[in-house]
This record gives sequence, C-alpha cells and structure tokens, in this order.
Amino acid sequence: MHFNARPEYMKEALSQFIDIENREVSVAVLHDEQLYELELEHIFAKAWLMIGHDTEIPNVGDYVVRLMGEDQVIVARAADGQVHVSLNVCPHRAMHVCLADSGNARVHKCIYHGWAFRPDGSFIGAPIEKEQMHGNIKTKEQLGLKKARVELFGGLIFATWNHEGPSLDEWLGDMKFYYQMLFDRTDKGLEVLGPPQRLTIDANWKTAGEQSACDGFHTLTLHGSVIDIGAMGGEADTEHESAPAMYGINLSGNGHSLRCIAADTSWALAHGKGDLTPEERLEAFPPPGITKELLPELKRKMSAEQLHVLAKAPPVVGGMFPNMNILFIYSPLRDGTLGAALVLHSIMPKGPHHFEWTTYYFAEKGTPENVKVMMRAAATHGTGTSGIIEQDDSDTWPHMTESAKGVIGRTETLKYQAILGENRPAGWPDKAKVYEGFGKDDAQWEWWLAYHRLMTASA
Amino acid sequence: MSVTIATINYTREYQRRGEVPYGSPVYNSIMDFLIREARLLDHRDIKSWGELLAEDLEYKAPVRITRRVQQFDQEFGTMGHFDDDYNSMMVRITRLTTTTNAWSEDPASRVRRFVSNVTVWETDVPDEYEVSSYLLLTRNRAEANNYKQLSAERNDRLRMTKSGFKLARRSILLDQVVLGMPNFAIFL
Repeated sequence: MHFNARPEYMKEALSQFIDIENREVSVAVLHDEQLYELELEHIFAKAWLMIGHDTEIPNVGDYVVRLMGEDQVIVARAADGQVHVSLNVCPHRAMHVCLADSGNARVHKCIYHGWAFRPDGSFIGAPIEKEQMHGNIKTKEQLGLKKARVELFGGLIFATWNHEGPSLDEWLGDMKFYYQMLFDRTDKGLEVLGPPQRLTIDANWKTAGEQSACDGFHTLTLHGSVIDIGAMGGEADTEHESAPAMYGINLSGNGHSLRCIAADTSWALAHGKGDLTPEERLEAFPPPGITKELLPELKRKMSAEQLHVLAKAPPVVGGMFPNMNILFIYSPLRDGTLGAALVLHSIMPKGPHHFEWTTYYFAEKGTPENVKVMMRAAATHGTGTSGIIEQDDSDTWPHMTESAKGVIGRTETLKYQAILGENRPAGWPDKAKVYEGFGKDDAQWEWWLAYHRLMTASA
Repeated sequence: MSVTIATINYTREYQRRGEVPYGSPVYNSIMDFLIREARLLDHRDIKSWGELLAEDLEYKAPVRITRRVQQFDQEFGTMGHFDDDYNSMMVRITRLTTTTNAWSEDPASRVRRFVSNVTVWETDVPDEYEVSSYLLLTRNRAEANNYKQLSAERNDRLRMTKSGFKLARRSILLDQVVLGMPNFAIFL
C-alpha cells in the first residue's frame, strides 16, 4: 500500500490507512515515505510545536537552535525583550546562519558571505555596504530570515509556520484549562534545569506520539520492572493485580490529552491508607512539583474548578498533539522525601524511520536550590536517556517500526478498540472529553482522529 | 548567566597533583581495575561491578552542547544522561539483575568497552587518584548488522581500600551532542 499524494485523493488515500469505523490504523503509517513527506507539510509545518522554554534564553541576544520538524530554527531573545523564532537558513545561499547549539549574539553573521541578521531575524546587511551585495531587486525588509509565529504559555515557547491558522489558545482549546495546572500555576512559573538531553531513536515519530496520548495500559507490562522493585509505590506482590494507578481520569481535546490519577490513590501509594477530605489531602499532599511553600500561590492562581480537579485527581502524564510528551510525576528524592520529576519530551521526526527525542527537566522557580538539584537527579533516574522507566519505551518503538518494513507486517493494524466512553464524573468541570475508569484507548484514538483531521485539512 | 552554560568543572583538573608514571605499580593496579570493570560489565556481571562502587559515589554524564570555540570551556550542561549517587545506582542494578521485566536489556545488548589513554594523577588525599581514560564502546542489539558506538573521556576518582580500588566519582564526557543509541540501559 502506498500513498497517493494528489490532494484530490487525500481523504480517500488516508482512509486506506485509518479505518475510522473499526478504530484501526494500518502499520504502514510507520513506514510510508510519501506519507512522511506529507506529515512534514501538513503537521510539522502547520501545528504549534513546543521548542523550548523562556528561561533558556533570559538575556537579550541569548539563543538556542532547535528543530521544527526537520527544519532548524534560531530561538532568540531580541532587543525588544521578546522571543523570536527564525529559520536557520540564510536567504542568500541556504547556509546555516547559526552553527552552535546555544550562545549569545547581538548579530548572527553567516560565515559564508557575511550576510548579517538581528536576533529578531531582520536583515542588517551584507559586507561592503557600498556594493549592495544583496542586489536591488529585493529590499532589505524582504531579505530577513523566515519568521515563525511565536506564542508563550507558562514560559514554554511554541512556534508554528501557520501564520493564518488558529491561535495557541484555539489550538489547545479546552485542554488549556488543564495544562495551566501543570505549566502556569505559580507566580514565578517554571524554569528549565539545564540544556535538554537529545538522542536519536530508530523509530517512526508516531510510535512515541500516539503513546503520549494516555497509554497507561503499557505501564503494567513494559514497565513491569519498575513495579517489581517497588519504585512505583505500594506493595510489589499485589501491585500487578490491583493496578491502582490504572484507574483515573483521562482527558482529551483536539488530540491533546492528559491522564489524571486519583489523589487518594497516589496518597495511598505514598503513605498508606488515610482518611482525608480532598481539601485536607491537597494541603498535606500537593500536586507533583508544588512544595508546601508554593501551595498558597497555587491556590491563589487556580480557579475553584481547577482546585477541585487538583484535589480530586491532578493531571500527571499525557501529551500535547502532535509531538509532546508530559510527565509531571511524584518521585522519591535523594534525601528520602517525596518530591517530583517534571519532564517534557519533544518528538521531532528525522525521516520516516528515525526521530529525535529531546528531554527537558523543570522545577518551579520558587523551589529551594538543593531541591532543584535532587529533582533533576530524580528526573534523570526515571526518565530520558537512562531513565529506568523510559529506557524500555525507547527499545519498543524501533521494533514497531521494523514490523512496518515487512510487506505482510505493514498490512497489520494498530488497534484502539478498548473503549471506555465519555463519562464525566459528578462535579468535574465541563471541559474536554472526560473518561473515568481503567484507562483505555479513547484518548489515543482521539490522537489519531486529530492526525486524520490535520492530514486531510485543505491547505 | 544562562542556564545552558555549565558551571561545573567535570574534568577536575585543579585536583590533579603529580602524575603517576606509566608502568609503575600504582598505574598498573589502576589499569587492572579499569580492565576488570569493563570485563565485568561486558559479561553482564553487573552485581560484581556494583561492588566496585564507593558509597559516596557520584556518577554523571553531562549533556554536551555544540559551542563556538571561544566558549569551548562551556560545552557541558548542568543536565545529564546520568546523574546518580550510590543508592540510585543500586536501584538500577537491582532492576537489571533481580526482575524478569527489564525489557530495555532483555534480550541483552552485546557490549564491548575498550579502555585506553589512561593517565593517573595523585591527589591531596592519600590513596585517592584522579584517573582520565578514553572509552570506546560498541553495542550490538537484536538483529542489527551494525553497532551503536560511543566514545567518551572518563574522569574518575579512584580510592584504594582494604578490598581494592573503589570508584568514588565518574564524569563521562561524551563526544555526541545527539546520542546515536536510544538509551543508556548500560553503564559506561
């Protein structure tokens, strides 16, 4: 099965890959090269992509180079104090303008012919001004670096090439209400704990993408070792059977998703049984990453509805369509106290069979310095390159991608037929699709529907 | 200062005193230690390797950043691929050796660690040495007909104890900014 890229056939062709009625996706989507090229155009050049955090570039001139799909961009703080995202391709002869991963520069000068640009991407000029080496066909205003549209949310830097499309608020829709509980919940906000980890995984980007949409079920098996050694809390011998963290509330909207674990479950795992009201528990056991000192800020900044969610079942893991993975989880710290690992991943495609897995660690700025150091160590221990949880994931996705290389293997399907159905519990906010119970395939299927919508949307 | 700039000196050159000559008894016993731990790890005797770790262990592999040569001394980040102490290493070892569900290394990779370019310095602490070595690691997995490779410089603090040398500190300075292998389910 190969993809017919002609626009008039887009819908029909995609229907060969995605069987909406039976909730199945052809394994061929993990392999097809023409489909991949279309994903770069329809998804990675259209979606809002998270490419860093405000705190990585605090000073004027600070920059980091990041990926949007396969395109390199310069993320820089310009003289206006704002974050600008510009294509790292010289408009003159396509040389990369920035050759370092990060630094500080008031002027980005291309090393090839010396065309120079400000951190906001605007063209300053080429050497030997009097000879006007950019010619006189195009004006200087027309010769800046190609600019992406930028919006910040909780300090996270989002960019898109879709200048006419939805705003970030529209893109996030109802889910923003829930994301605020993770990214925008204190006065000073989050900060990164250093430059991100980067590595290459020999797998199609969608293997990690769809998993981020609340695949809780794999925890029991793939991460069985972490349960075996008691690192998920509870008693190792009863953990597999009782599977307490499997019951919770999954949320989905516009392909974005979050998984909320009941606070009484987390409390029982960490502290044994207790009989606290939700309000008492929020006080005694704030959401991951919120210290007791930050609790008053959280309470002030969150609405009553948001506090209800945080007390009942705070969001802890999930994703943001198309390529962000979120883990804001409780984690034991070096000193024996219970702390948190605040982790975001981006999944950037590098051809149909590879992607770059970038890992950012965070803490609330208001966290004591010694706790930040312990949170960073806890995050590194659990997630990312050497994480005892995530190293199993990174070994699984390549196998799925290999399966798609066989002409028979790619006729198999990924199945999303375990359906819980929408069932908003009493008192839960009327926002996004809500699935309470043992986490099933609902949110992951919504991820594929969002993928389908974007791939078939007319340009 | 930007958070992207490392403030930690991972080579610890300031702790190096007199160089221990190549071929001397101390140098040879340190070579012996490095070869032994590589052999233990390559043969998946991870528990025995764990016995070579000191209880005040610091085990780090900072992320590397491509920088202009003027900032050549600022190419390692505060974040790492490993950021471990003794207890967290023991959790890793327990996971790999006592459970039957540690899938990232089951079936296991076939790994070979080649250690060379060893330099040894005395330190201000008797019986403790700063040791710099090069590591070339090949990792083959499943049906791959090629290898995931890794090269690094390791800066170690080794401590002579009654039961032989113990590893008290290891800073692994990787040569890749973007790692070519999907995880570190292995030790370096």
